[in-house]
Amino acid sequence: MTQFNLISPINICNAWWLIHPPTVMASCGLVQASRCLHTSSQSLAPVPPLPEKPGKVRHGLIPEEFFQLLYPKTGVTGPYMLGTGLAIYMLSKEIYIINSSTLVALTVGSFFIYGVKKFGPSIAEFADKLNEEKVAKVQEVKDLAVAGLAQAIDREKKEQWRVEGRSLLFDAKRNNVAALLETNHRERLHMVTNEVKKRLDYQIALQNLHRQMEQEHMVNWVEKSVISSITPQQEKESIAKCITDLKALARNTQAKATA
Amino acid sequence: MAARRVALKAIDWVAFAERVPPNQRGMFNALKTRSDAIAAKLASLPEAPAAIDWSYYRSAVARIGMVDEFEKKFKALQIPAPVDTQTSTIDAQEAEATKSALVYTEACKARIAQYEKELDKLKNMIPFDEMTIEDLNDTFPETKLDKVKYPYWPHKPIADL
Repeated sequence: MTQFNLISPINICNAWWLIHPPTVMASCGLVQASRCLHTSSQSLAPVPPLPEKPGKVRHGLIPEEFFQLLYPKTGVTGPYMLGTGLAIYMLSKEIYIINSSTLVALTVGSFFIYGVKKFGPSIAEFADKLNEEKVAKVQEVKDLAVAGLAQAIDREKKEQWRVEGRSLLFDAKRNNVAALLETNHRERLHMVTNEVKKRLDYQIALQNLHRQMEQEHMVNWVEKSVISSITPQQEKESIAKCITDLKALARNTQAKATA
Repeated sequence: MAARRVALKAIDWVAFAERVPPNQRGMFNALKTRSDAIAAKLASLPEAPAAIDWSYYRSAVARIGMVDEFEKKFKALQIPAPVDTQTSTIDAQEAEATKSALVYTEACKARIAQYEKELDKLKNMIPFDEMTIEDLNDTFPETKLDKVKYPYWPHKPIADL
């Protein structure tokens, strides 16, 4: 984007100064001097930026350098006296003739100056704002780009750090394999022991069972033989004896209860 | 029986978890649950089986010689250690991973260098206030208007304005 400054409309004198460098001034002693072309045989690179503000002018027409030029010889009032003298000379000698155009010039000039003085600053502000917006937009793009790049660099570094941890995965895998092998081995040991124990316990249980069965059988057989040996006569006698015993017991308990 | 092998390396699961990228978190969780299950199973088994009380069995079992025979055979029994078939595969995987990691790291470094170059270019460019259109086209080549393809103003398709 090119530099766009709303400068005062009448600035021909500034252009004049650019073309005819002041020889009276030392090196680059303009009142407003940031862009001195052709003051020395050296060429400036990179070319310095355009000035922000235009050259100073007095009364919107005459550059300040003119007053500075005349100051040493004629002081502060010199240029004014010169101007007045010139004007009076031109009027009196009729080099400049007053006619209807003069009135037109004065009227238009006054309106023009009034317009510039009243609306100039606001228009300048508006134009500057347009420029600012353009710059801000591009600046935003640049800022986003910078931030994005910084973020991308961080991401890449993080990924590199991540990659460094790959040994952990393989350690975990190897651990798993070792643990599985170990588990398998232990299971086998346990299984062997358990099986042997089971067999021995089985033998013992078998023995116990045999003994138990023999005992039971013997008891049953003894009981059977005893019961079969009891004759009917013996049975009757034992029942009668039981009844008398019971009666005696009942009498005893009755006596105990009443006593 | 066989000798004890304590070849387990302590793994820092927290550090491991930090290094896992978000898109592989599922795989990591699966691995972790599997590992935990295996480790739990290992811990639940006692290291050596309970010893058999031979003297008790010798007195209890009626059949003479049976217990002695069992004892002899039991003591002579050797359970072979399980064969490790996977560790070599894992080592091969690790070597391959190292290689690919190296390649990836190189690519990463190249990308970082490129980004840094761009960053430097952006940081050192002349401020926008002091640029001309030529300077802008030099710094951001995408702003250059193709005056050959679109010879008439605005030198770009109307839709792009």
